[in-house]
Amino acid sequence: MKQANLVGWLFVVLVTGLLEVGVRLFELRDSVPAPSAVLRALAEGVSSGTLSGEVGTTLESYAEGLGLAIAAGIVLGLVIGSSRTLLEASSIVIEFLRPIPAVALIPLAIMVFGLGLPMRRFVIAYAALWPILINTLYGARGADRLLHDVARTSGVTRLGRLVSVTFPAALPSIATGIRVSASLALLVGVTAELVTGTEGIGSYMQRQQLAYQLPELYAAIVVTGFLGYAINVALRRAERHFLFWVGEGRLAR
Amino acid sequence: MTAAFLNRVGRRLLGAVVFGAALGIWEAWARSEPSFLFPPVTAVLERAWQVWPTTDFLTSVAASLERLAAGYALGAGIGIAAGLLMGSLRAARRTLEPLVEFLRAVPPVAIVPAVIVVLGLGNGMRIAVIAFAVCFPVLVNTVEGVRAVAPETRDTAAMLHLGLAETIFRIYLPAALPSIVAGLRVALSIGVIMVVISEFVGASDGIGHYILFQQSQFNVPEMYGGILFLGLLGYVLNRLFLLVEDHLLSWHFRAAGEPTR
Amino acid sequence: MLSDVTFDVREGELLSVVGPSGCGKTTLLRLLCGLTPPSDGSVLFNGKAVMRPPREVALVFQDYSRSLFPWLSVIRNVMLPLRRAGLRRGEKIARAEAVLQEMGLHGVARKYPWELSGGMQQRVAIARALVSRPKILLLDEPFGSVDALTRTELQDVLLRVHGDFEERRVTIVHVTHDIDEAVYLSDRVLVLGSAPGRLVASIDVELERPRVQTATRSSPRFLAVRNEIHDVIASREREAGHLGV
Repeated sequence: MKQANLVGWLFVVLVTGLLEVGVRLFELRDSVPAPSAVLRALAEGVSSGTLSGEVGTTLESYAEGLGLAIAAGIVLGLVIGSSRTLLEASSIVIEFLRPIPAVALIPLAIMVFGLGLPMRRFVIAYAALWPILINTLYGARGADRLLHDVARTSGVTRLGRLVSVTFPAALPSIATGIRVSASLALLVGVTAELVTGTEGIGSYMQRQQLAYQLPELYAAIVVTGFLGYAINVALRRAERHFLFWVGEGRLAR
Repeated sequence: MTAAFLNRVGRRLLGAVVFGAALGIWEAWARSEPSFLFPPVTAVLERAWQVWPTTDFLTSVAASLERLAAGYALGAGIGIAAGLLMGSLRAARRTLEPLVEFLRAVPPVAIVPAVIVVLGLGNGMRIAVIAFAVCFPVLVNTVEGVRAVAPETRDTAAMLHLGLAETIFRIYLPAALPSIVAGLRVALSIGVIMVVISEFVGASDGIGHYILFQQSQFNVPEMYGGILFLGLLGYVLNRLFLLVEDHLLSWHFRAAGEPTR
Repeated sequence: MLSDVTFDVREGELLSVVGPSGCGKTTLLRLLCGLTPPSDGSVLFNGKAVMRPPREVALVFQDYSRSLFPWLSVIRNVMLPLRRAGLRRGEKIARAEAVLQEMGLHGVARKYPWELSGGMQQRVAIARALVSRPKILLLDEPFGSVDALTRTELQDVLLRVHGDFEERRVTIVHVTHDIDEAVYLSDRVLVLGSAPGRLVASIDVELERPRVQTATRSSPRFLAVRNEIHDVIASREREAGHLGV
């Protein structure tokens, strides 16, 4: 456990203090809210349940979309990655779809799914799919030949090998892919909310901006930041827990 | 014609055939069950063929690229500078770490409303948002790259009596370059995403704006065309990046015994 | 890590430091060249305390791939120590090339370090250390990363450097775990015991120079000295409870 970074936190306090002074002194309240106002709005938003409600809504589509992407990405990645033929067959399709940014699909998704949860779920899933799929492919291809041979000579079926050899061997890569996807999914999800302006923290921020409620807006940004941070920390913990057998060099710090 | 060669060609063809088949299925299905939302491939390509070469469209693309370039350069510059600082000086790293970790966790889209309040709806806002998003992957990778510099390398710099600035720019920077470039690559795709996002709000040109506008006008084939173009653009940019990377890092690849791409 | 180590390094001598792994040989070198400050006691160079790497001291590492800079050509690597020497560019190049020639390296100036063999890379590292004409040369297991044959070649290169490099004798402190090598090369051998590193013995080699791989290594005096060192280390390890005998 690292010791608490006193200097770093002091610096944060210092910056916040300077901002407070600066905003008051130069009367910037129309452009940038005072940190004290943001903290007040934050406390209010949390205690009244508004902020947590919006975050909850965001998390709903986020979790569903990410979950879909993880399931599909891993399964597809393992299956395709274990067969040279499948890999080649799907390569051009994957290379074609992969560079298309999910955010560019938001307008299309709105037309197809409307403005609600299904639309957000779709774009989040699409965005999150590719890093996981590619990383799973990479991990599946890299699985140690020796492990495969041992499994084969032990009479394990092809499917069995997929599950008990390829999958664990690919897990470090998959973990990296999930981490990348997780932050990408949050970005895309909040974007979708911002663009459609119906529900979720993204649309909440949009509304606060239009209403010029700057402290509330910044409070929402802070909450979103914490959300992103919490997701990342949770994933790293999970990674360390499930992948305890991986050497230090391969896991994220 | 060796078996291996035929093998490779065959495999390439397989990929192309599968891709073509997928397009064919889409085409057939779209024609048999005409759907407003899913036009035939040929319709999309036809519109693309007409729209893409026009001055209007190309100017729009140029506008997007300009914003991307400016935001990317700004973000990368800040990321590398701050990264070198934080990587080389323990004090700097410890001081800035919590702030950086927090800012980094904020999805860049979340700052768009705040930046709009300060900078309005123009290019300044877009470049700022792109730079914000680009800077963090670059920073993190730069810090990692510098910290990974081998002790022998650091000691050699000390033995050569290199001052701090010299050590950072002549030793740490080249040594960390592979890691920095990896960060720059990630930052490029994030940059493209942010250009699109920033053009969704209050833009009058740009590819992101084009896609949204076509959607609002229910010009579905044009909208697909815009999406397709964006995908192609992303692909081309990535290829170009790999070329530059090869050139910059040729010494690294050869030193590590890896074949250059 | 190290405790109770006191010794002198005489000018012009070739001193080897041997000891089991982990006894702090590398730490000792780092202390000598000022990369690590001592927690207790002091390092004196010509009577003055060493706070940071003195200009008259040069260091050669075991891992040449990490101390030579892969983005610079061989000649540029070798020229690096001359940055502040106030020489014109032409002079710097000439000096660097001269040192490379001394090391037996011809035609490698424009190449990159990783294009050369391990033995050649280590020669480049030694050349870089020598180009600034240091009074003291420190080497940390410099031949540990090359094959046995190259190792003997490099040992003789080091002897040449010590003996007649530009007609000045360089003082050399050389850390190794290879006892035979230490005896073959040195005027004196320091033996360190392990955990904590402690100076156990200082043994004068007293073999004739110039040393010859075959003749010197088979001389009675050579065998006597190396056996003495082995015995010292073994009894020390037994004392410290590390051997089962």
